[in-house]
This record gives sequence, C-alpha cells and structure tokens, in this order.
Amino acid sequence: MIAQLILTALLSGVVLYAWHEHRRSPVVGALSLIIATTAIYLVWAPSHASDLAEWAGVGRGVDLIVYIWVVISLLVLLNLHLKLRVQLEQITVLARQIAIANAVNAAPLPGKAERVSPPPAAIRKG
Amino acid sequence: MAKSVSQGRGGNTWIVIPAYNEEQTIAGVVADVRRNGHHVVVVDDGSADATADAAFRARATVVRHPFNLGQGAALQTGITFALSQGADFIVTFDADGQHRADEIATLLDALAFHGADFALGSRFLGRTTNIPTSRRLLLWAATWFTSATTGLELTDAHNGFRAMTRRGASHIRLRQNRMAHASEILDQIASSRLSYVEVPVTIEYSSYSLGKGQRSSAAIDILLDLCTRRLYQ
Repeated sequence: MIAQLILTALLSGVVLYAWHEHRRSPVVGALSLIIATTAIYLVWAPSHASDLAEWAGVGRGVDLIVYIWVVISLLVLLNLHLKLRVQLEQITVLARQIAIANAVNAAPLPGKAERVSPPPAAIRKG
Repeated sequence: MAKSVSQGRGGNTWIVIPAYNEEQTIAGVVADVRRNGHHVVVVDDGSADATADAAFRARATVVRHPFNLGQGAALQTGITFALSQGADFIVTFDADGQHRADEIATLLDALAFHGADFALGSRFLGRTTNIPTSRRLLLWAATWFTSATTGLELTDAHNGFRAMTRRGASHIRLRQNRMAHASEILDQIASSRLSYVEVPVTIEYSSYSLGKGQRSSAAIDILLDLCTRRLYQ
C-alpha cells in the first residue's frame, strides 16, 4: 500500500509535468501523459499489470512498472534535450543581432573600417 | 528575352560567405568574388584564427558571430544582413575555395531567365573534380532522402552554391544551426511553394576543402537534427 501511494504520487507529478510541457513539446508531452496515466492505473490494478506483463513477455507486473518508469525517465530526458535546443535557438537569435549590429563594412582604404548597422526593423526575429 | 542579372541590370546582389577558421583561403575567395562587382559579406562564425581580419583586408563586409554557432546559423545571419542592406539577389558561396566565382553569373542569369525564386547549384548536372567515392555515395543518399521528404526533384541536395531573389530569401528562416540547414532550406522551398531551378555548377575539391568538409558520420547527425526538430515548436 505504501509503495502504491508513493508511486502514485510520483506518477501524478509526471502527469502534471506532461500537461505543463504539452504545449512546448506536444509529442513528448502526449507520450508522457499516456504512459504515466497507464502506469497509475497499473499500480492500482496489479493483476492487470501482471496480465499485461505476461502478454508483453516481460514476466512480472512489477517489472513492467519499472520498465514504464524507465521509459518515462527517458522521455523527460528527451524533453530536457529539446528545451536546450530551444534555448540554443534563442541564443542564436541574440548572437545574430549582436553580430549584425557590429558589422564592419568593407573599407574604402586599408585600415579604415566603417560600421554598418541595419535598421532595427530589418532584423528578423526568431 | 530575359534580362541578365549578372550584367548589372538586375539590382543589388550580395554574396554571403559563411566562414569558420578559413584564414588560408578567405582572402582569395573574396577577391575572386569581388572581381565581379558584387557586394560580399563574410560571416565569421566565431573563428579562432584570423579569418575576419583576412576577409576585411580583402575588402569584404564582415559580420562576426561572438562564438561558433554552425554553418546554418552563419548563412541565416548573412541572409538577414544582406536583406537589411536592400539586397535584390543573394548568393551563398563556400569559403574553402571549392566554388567558382565566375559561375555566380550563371546562377543569377538562371533566376532571371526562368523567373525562379531560387537557383540551386548542382555538381551532378555540372562537373566535379577529385570527388571521393564515399562523398559521392553520401550525397546520393542525401539527395534521395531530401527528394523523398520534400517532393522536390533534385540531383544535388547539399550544394552550398545557390542564388535567391529577395522574395525567396525573405521566406527562408533557418533554425538548423549546423549542417542540416541544407535540407531545411529545401523543405522551406517546398512548403512555401517557391519556384526553383537547378543549375549546373563546378565543384573543385582539394585536399584542403576535403579536410574541412563533412565526415560521412555527419549524415547521422543531420538525420537526428532533422528528426528532433519535428518534436518541438
């Protein structure tokens, strides 16, 4: 009973996390949501977990729950990776604006640089 | 008869050259391109060597990324900059000396003649020198994959030598910072229904350009980047 409560609390946390991430990463959010909800059901219906485990060739129901937990962890890891990519894109936009704002025009004579700053409206966002 | 862009009647043309640690070749490349009278912007992608200095001395406009972001990011920076300078036509050109500056005119003329938004260089319609068999196979696989995923009929999907109109360039928004940008451009051409034409060009591989070029394993990175990009908005 204690294990069931702990697992339910943890999986409920995953459900909330999946719901929160759903807009940013629809695929990862939906997968996490489905798997975590299924896992909560199986925690409270261990006989179904055993049946499902036997059908899937895993062996015991508890093993199935552990495997599901591993899959959820991997999905969370993937989501973190996607978040890092989004941040990299934001950093790229920032770096691009800095680079363009500091562009140095071809010098008419050697050593005479001329800064060329484009009009701000012309800098594309994103 | 279509007017010739390359003969100066077609407006303001900018050549975008992304460069990363290319101090050996960049001055020669810029000099070759400038001989045709076009504006040149070199995007120094956070080089550790004197690439920016060499480009500037060769009288290119230089835009420097504060740190290395990748060729795709550098191309987008160059395109954004050229658009902000009022470019009517933009040509992307490699910094390692494997493209021929005299063929810029061919690409620009193809835009005008066909009324296309993009003129995509094709080494397989044109000529390649010293291309290794492994590279040829890799490019064939990339072209097959891109044609299958975008529906575009192409002979060379990963050629960095291409020309575009202002309208075409305005539709391009590269989010793949690294090498997957070549597929991303084609994907955006297909999804925005922009018109394109393939143009025969020459790619001259040298030991230097082959040393700087992509490894075969980069194909896996490109595939992963393209797949991962579809997982988030």
